[in-house]
Amino acid sequence: MSVTDLLQRSELFSGLAPEQIEQIAALGREVVYNAGAVVIREGDPSDEMYVISSGMVEVLVSRGTIPDVPGPPQLTPIVRLGQGQLCGEMALVDRGARSATVRCVEDGTVLHVIPRQAFWALCDGDHHIGYVVMRNIASDLSFKLRHRNLQARLAGGAS
Amino acid sequence: MIYKVSYVVVGKPHPGAIVNLDAPPRVGDRVQLSGELFEVTEVIDLIPPRGEFAYLHVTCRPVQETT
Repeated sequence: MSVTDLLQRSELFSGLAPEQIEQIAALGREVVYNAGAVVIREGDPSDEMYVISSGMVEVLVSRGTIPDVPGPPQLTPIVRLGQGQLCGEMALVDRGARSATVRCVEDGTVLHVIPRQAFWALCDGDHHIGYVVMRNIASDLSFKLRHRNLQARLAGGAS
Repeated sequence: MIYKVSYVVVGKPHPGAIVNLDAPPRVGDRVQLSGELFEVTEVIDLIPPRGEFAYLHVTCRPVQETT
């Protein structure tokens, strides 16, 4: 399956023609990670968004350091994301620091990396692509928020 | 149709998952989330479908191993 075929299965590109998806695909590159590899680290500056082509990642947030206990903040998983899902899109939209850590949970996880600057240039140059992609990012963020709400309601926020 | 599914796990600490599927999950299905096996106990339409995508919520619980 080609990169374009894989990306076509992501909601990010829903509503775009294959040639438009190819334009976006051409901006980025594919990177393969093994289980345990950290793709995004909370608090770091950001300039890329990721589409999961295959495999699975885990999103984790820090709960702060424990007083008098040395070491990094404890990381708590909040969701796992599989094929077709986005990660790193918040920083692409708001340009803030990374809000969470993203770590691969399966060997051979393939991510399509889209650089922010080139992506924004494409959206500025083609407002239809820009509108569709921004609508899809908003829809994806909304879906993730609904997932978190259900998680809190049904599982008591257990993670 | 691509089914974008939000899995929420009850019965054990687990962050749940969001994945795309080619077929809709059904109550009673067994699903593996990164190597862990769960049974689907509830499937609901989360929001109306749009384009090629349908959006589902699934509640699932750990499969009890029998010996």
